[in-house]
Amino acid sequence: MTFRVLDPTPEKAPPIGQLAPRLGSLRGKTVGFISNGKEGTKGFFAHLDRLLREQHGVADVVMRTKSNYSAPADPHIVAEIRSWHAVVSGIGD
Amino acid sequence: MPLDSRTYEAADIAAVQELYHANGWTDGLPIVPPTAEAVQACLDWAMMPADQLIGVEPVRGLAVTAEKLAINAVMAGCLPMHFPVVATAWTAMMQPEFLMHGATASTGGCAVLVVLNGPIRLELGASGGFNALGNSDRATAVIGRALRLCLINLMDVRPGAIDRSTLGHPGKFSFCLAEDEEDTTWLSLAETRGIPKEASAVTVMAAGAPRQIMNEWTTKPEEILETFAAEMRANLRHYSIHPGNYALIIPKQLREHLQAAGWSKADIASFIHERARIHRREWAEVGKGAVVRDRGDSVYPAMESPDQLLVVAAGGPAGGFGAVIPPWLGHKSHAVTVPIGACIDCEPPKQ
Repeated sequence: MTFRVLDPTPEKAPPIGQLAPRLGSLRGKTVGFISNGKEGTKGFFAHLDRLLREQHGVADVVMRTKSNYSAPADPHIVAEIRSWHAVVSGIGD
Repeated sequence: MPLDSRTYEAADIAAVQELYHANGWTDGLPIVPPTAEAVQACLDWAMMPADQLIGVEPVRGLAVTAEKLAINAVMAGCLPMHFPVVATAWTAMMQPEFLMHGATASTGGCAVLVVLNGPIRLELGASGGFNALGNSDRATAVIGRALRLCLINLMDVRPGAIDRSTLGHPGKFSFCLAEDEEDTTWLSLAETRGIPKEASAVTVMAAGAPRQIMNEWTTKPEEILETFAAEMRANLRHYSIHPGNYALIIPKQLREHLQAAGWSKADIASFIHERARIHRREWAEVGKGAVVRDRGDSVYPAMESPDQLLVVAAGGPAGGFGAVIPPWLGHKSHAVTVPIGACIDCEPPKQ
């Protein structure tokens, strides 16, 4: 007996955002970090902060932490992204 | 309207199983072949067009239609009469306060606890009696499984993909129970959460594994409930200090003592709220002294308020066994109750 059965997946790709234009250089730029607030983010972002400033000439690093590490970033953090040239979002498990 | 999903041909039932397993579309157990006829029967029973939007997952913007939900429900073993419960539970899970993405992706490894209330329990043969948290009956088994298959196939909540659980727990196969409303004097869980008794309802909670307790040596409500509170304190010490929804499953043998003494669910919640709390310094006793810091005297209740306790009457008629079902991670996800057959996002009817 032949079965004709249906695909259980969405089949359609989920909506995705567009990548921002790539920066030619990080020199003199402001980079924002969005941390999920877990313990493991502290060392990672501290190291990245140092690398960006010392090796790539980043002018300023702005650190922001989500109020709920399992939820999207708070609206006020998302709004602030506009004032940064680049953003790094990281989890800390 | 015709179904829109891609169709596959399989030579026999074994080939169907291999098709679905090979594509990662199962939970590891065999599935029921989701034929167009079986899926359409679910949609017809619920009076839903195939393209009805059940909801959009709030974090990743993934839209879920009735057709896709029904395919997964059939795969789980659902009959058409089970499908409205699956659709309602899914609607509840997609409410922002449930935080589906966080709860299902977390390393914490929680499952979705589903509690059924109201007349539909009897229509479906959903049992809140013997083995209430296990394989008690067909309806709760397949409804709980359907939600897991929906998560796997519609949200990509596969182990190692979106599902980052370190351990998970057996409730991730199916974690559904019906409240024993006939054998108690208490209000049902749904009633305590504002749903009329005549309505059927589904409550979902992002839940850890059940922690079983036993106390068959007292009839005093305070002593019975102290055992539950102690288990909650253990959870606060050993797992997470964050307050949130806890569920208490109270079987007939224990609730008869509570009911005879005139204790309502609200009384139980007030008592538990007072007793289920620890000092932060207690973490030092269980190997977590590193995070006590200078806040050792701070008090951490298991719940922010008594109404975060979900008290459920369920279990076989004999045995002083109860269960504490802890939250995934405090109040980051809130339990959601939705009546079956109600539309919570609909436009009001035009005059």
